[in-house]
Amino acid sequence: MKILVPIKRVADPANANKVKVDDDATKVTSEGLEWVMNPFDEWSLEAALRLTENAAEKARVGEIVVVSITPGEGDTDHIREALGKGAERGIVVPAGTDEQLDASVVAKILAAVVKKEEPDVVLMGKQAADGDSAVAGTKLAELLEWPVVNYATNIATSDEGKTFEVKRELDIGVQTLKVEGPVVFTSSDRILRPDSIKNGVTPDDFEYADLGDLNSRLSNLKNIMAARKKPIDTMTLDDLGVELGVGTEYVKFTLPQGRSGSAEFVETVDELVQKLQTEAKVL
Amino acid sequence: MANPLIDDRLVDLLLRDVLQAERLTALPHFADHGPETFELYLSACRQLARGALASSYRPLDLEPPVFEGGRVRLHPRFGPLFTQLRELGVIAATRPEEVGGQQMPLTVSTLAHTYLMAGNLSVAALAWLTTGAAHLVEAFGDDAVKERFLARMYAGEWTGTMALTEPHAGSSLGDLTTSATPAPDGTYRIRGAKIFISGGDHDVAENVVHLTLARIEGAPEGTKGISLFAVPRLREEGGALVDNDVHVTGVIHKIGWKALPSLALGFGDRGDCHGWLVGAPHQGLRMMFQMMNEARISVGATAAATASAAYHEARAYALERRQGRALGERGGEPVRLVEHPDVRRMLLRQKAIVDGSLALAATTALHADLAEHGPEDARERHRLLLDLLTPITKTFPSEAGFEATALAVQVLGGYGYTSEYLPEAFLRDQKLNTIHEGTTGIQSLDLLGRKVMARGGAGLRVLAEEIQRALAEAEAAGLEEGLRAPLGAALGQLGALTATLGQRGMAGDTLGMLGHSVDYLTASGLLVIGWQHLRLATAATRRLEGGADAFAEGLLRGARYWMATEVPRVAHLCRLCETGEPSYLEMQPEWF
Repeated sequence: MKILVPIKRVADPANANKVKVDDDATKVTSEGLEWVMNPFDEWSLEAALRLTENAAEKARVGEIVVVSITPGEGDTDHIREALGKGAERGIVVPAGTDEQLDASVVAKILAAVVKKEEPDVVLMGKQAADGDSAVAGTKLAELLEWPVVNYATNIATSDEGKTFEVKRELDIGVQTLKVEGPVVFTSSDRILRPDSIKNGVTPDDFEYADLGDLNSRLSNLKNIMAARKKPIDTMTLDDLGVELGVGTEYVKFTLPQGRSGSAEFVETVDELVQKLQTEAKVL
Repeated sequence: MANPLIDDRLVDLLLRDVLQAERLTALPHFADHGPETFELYLSACRQLARGALASSYRPLDLEPPVFEGGRVRLHPRFGPLFTQLRELGVIAATRPEEVGGQQMPLTVSTLAHTYLMAGNLSVAALAWLTTGAAHLVEAFGDDAVKERFLARMYAGEWTGTMALTEPHAGSSLGDLTTSATPAPDGTYRIRGAKIFISGGDHDVAENVVHLTLARIEGAPEGTKGISLFAVPRLREEGGALVDNDVHVTGVIHKIGWKALPSLALGFGDRGDCHGWLVGAPHQGLRMMFQMMNEARISVGATAAATASAAYHEARAYALERRQGRALGERGGEPVRLVEHPDVRRMLLRQKAIVDGSLALAATTALHADLAEHGPEDARERHRLLLDLLTPITKTFPSEAGFEATALAVQVLGGYGYTSEYLPEAFLRDQKLNTIHEGTTGIQSLDLLGRKVMARGGAGLRVLAEEIQRALAEAEAAGLEEGLRAPLGAALGQLGALTATLGQRGMAGDTLGMLGHSVDYLTASGLLVIGWQHLRLATAATRRLEGGADAFAEGLLRGARYWMATEVPRVAHLCRLCETGEPSYLEMQPEWF
C-alpha cells in the first residue's frame, strides 16, 4: 500500500503567544516563530505508519511518501523528521509565501503530486493548526474525483488498501463506512488510540503503546541515520503545472485578548470551594 | 507550561556557536552524521524526556522497588519507559556501527543525556549503566565474551551493572576480597559480596550482566591483583538460561534515585556462579579506569541536568507567585517573586551554575570525541585536555549543582520544603553525584596528584592556551574588560600555584602538595567554569549584533556575575593551598 502524507509546517501551537501580526493587520508575521509539524498531520503520519508496517515484527510492508509545500526555498526539516519516524521518501514543493498558500492552492498542488505519485491513499490532518480551515482534504478529493472520509477515528483494511472500513465519531454516535481506494482520509486525534488501525498484517491482538502527549511515535536513532540516505525530491510549481492564485483574501487578523487576572493560592479545599461559590460563582 | 528541563537555546548555542559540533562530521568516524541527525536525535530525546519520562518522575520517586521472593520488582511504569529508551537507541548511540551503534558524537549524546536524566534519572540511568558495562566488554573482552554478551547488552535486552564496591571496600578498591577460582571449562567460579549495585536486579529486562571486580586465587595483593569478570544473573546452558547463583541479599534504602534499585548482592553461595574473564588477568582496575572518563563526564552532565530541572521549577514559580511589595514600596499589589533582588540573585546563581556546567560537560565530551576520532596529530592534545577536565567536569556540577538545587528549594520558600513540589526530590537526587564514580576527595587527588602533574604539567599548559585563545576571541568580539580580566588573573594564579605544589611533591612533601587538594579542585572549577562563561558571553555578544535577544542578555549577565563573584575566589583558594592553611590538618581525631 502506498500512502501520501502531506505535512504542513505551522508555528508551534504551544508558543502561540509569540505569534504577531504585521502593522496593517493583514498577515501573520513569521519572524521569530518556531516551526513544527502540524500536529493534525502528525496524527496522520502515525496512522499511515501503522497502516504500512507489521508492528509485531517491526517491519515496513508499504510505502509512505511525505510531501511538504514550503514557502521560500523549500525547508526539509519536517520531511526529515517524518523520514526519521519511518516514512520512505519525501517530496518538497517550494512555493510562494504563507499567504499565497490557501486551501485551494494547496489542494491543487497536492492533486498534481497525487497524479504523479499515484498513491492508494492520501492521509492528512483534518485541518492545520494555524488556519483551522479544514478544507484542503475535501477539496483535494474533489479535484481528484476520489471519495473522501473526514475526521476518521478508525481505519481498517484486510486487502492491502483496495477497500477500507472506516469509523467516524459523531455527536450522535459512531458512523461506520466502507470505501474503496484510492481515497482521501483526514484523521481525528482518536486515530492514535492503540486499536484504531487494522491493516491485516500486524496481528489484531497487537497493542500499540499509548503515545501520551506525543502526536506521533518518536524517531529512533537507527531510523534517523537511515533517513539521511532517503531521497527527498523537489517538485516545482512548474513541474506540477500549478499556478499560484489565491482564492482567499485576508482582510484582518486580530490577536486574542491577553488573559486577565492572576493566580491565587488557597490553603485548603474548603476555602477553594467557598471561593468558587462566592467569588467565581461557578458552583 | 511543563518544565523544559534543559534550555534548548543553550544546547543550540553550544553545538552551533561555541563548540561548532558540525565540524565533527568532517571526521571519517562521524561522516554519516550531519546537523540534522544531531537535531533529530536531540529532538527525540527531549520529547521523551519532557513527556513520558518527566510525567512519571514523581510516581516513581514515591514508590521505590519492592524486594519479594528473592527478586526485585520495579514500579510498573518503569518497564514501558525503559523500552522506549531502548527503542530510541540511546544505549549504543555512541558506539561503532559494527557492534550495533550509530557512532553519534559523545558531544551530542552527552547533551541528549542531560534531557533524559533531567526527565527521569532512575530510568535513564539503567540505560546509561548498561552502556558503560557493555563498553567494557566491547573494549576488553575476547571474541567469545563479546559473542556471549555484547549484542544483547547494546540492544538493551540484557542490562549491565558495575559491581565494584564491597561492604568494606568502596573508595579503596585494593582491599576487595571477592574471589575467582579457575574452572576446567575456562570460566571462573565467583564468590563474594558486593554492595550499592545499581540496577543489580529488576523485572524490566530478561537478564543482568554484572561487570564484577574480583581477585583470582593467588593474585598479588592490592590494586595490582584485581581482575574483571562478566557475571550474568542467568547464564546460557544447553540453549536455555539457567540461574547463575547471583542473589539479592538486600535492598538499600536511599534518599534519591529512588526508582532505581541499589542492591547488596551475594555471588556464589552455592559455588555455582560462573564468571567470564574480561581482558587480561590482574588488569581489572586499569581497564575500569580507562572507562572512567566517560562515566565521570556523564555524572557531571547528570548533576547539571538535575540542577537545570530544579532551576526551571524555581524560575517558573518566581515568575508566577506574588508575594510582598517591591523594595521601598508600601502598600499596593504584591509583586512577583522575581521582582525581589535576592530572588533574582538566587535565580541568576542557579542559572550561572547550570549554564556553566552544561557547557563544561559538552566541552569535555568534545575533547573525548577528538581524542579518539580527531585528526591524528591533534589527538594527544585533546587527550591531555580530556584527562585534565574530567575530574573537574565530574565535580564542579555535582558540588555547585547541589547548592543550585538547594537554592531552588529556597526560592519556593515554605512550599519548597514540601513534597508537593519537585525541588526537594531533585535535591535528594543531586547528592549522589558528589559520591558515586569517585567522591569529590578522590577527584581532587586525581586532579592534583595525577592529572596536572602528568607529563611535566602538559595538561595545564594546553588548558592555559585554550583559555588564552578564548580571551583573545572575547576581546575581538568586543567583550568588556570586566568580563575578561578576572579570568586571565585567575589563570596566572592557578598556574603559579601548580608549579609550587609540583615542586613540593617532587621534594617528597606529599602533605604540603595535597593537603588542600579539594581547595585546588574548587579553584580549578571556578576557573574552568569562568572559561565556559567567557565563551558563552562571546557567542551571546555576536548574537546581540543581530538584534535584541533576551536569551543572550541573560547569558551576558550570567558571565558577568561569575567573573565578579566567583572567579576572584580563585585567589583566596590558591592562598589556602599555597600556605597550607593548617586548621584541619592539625586537628587530632580526639579533638572532634
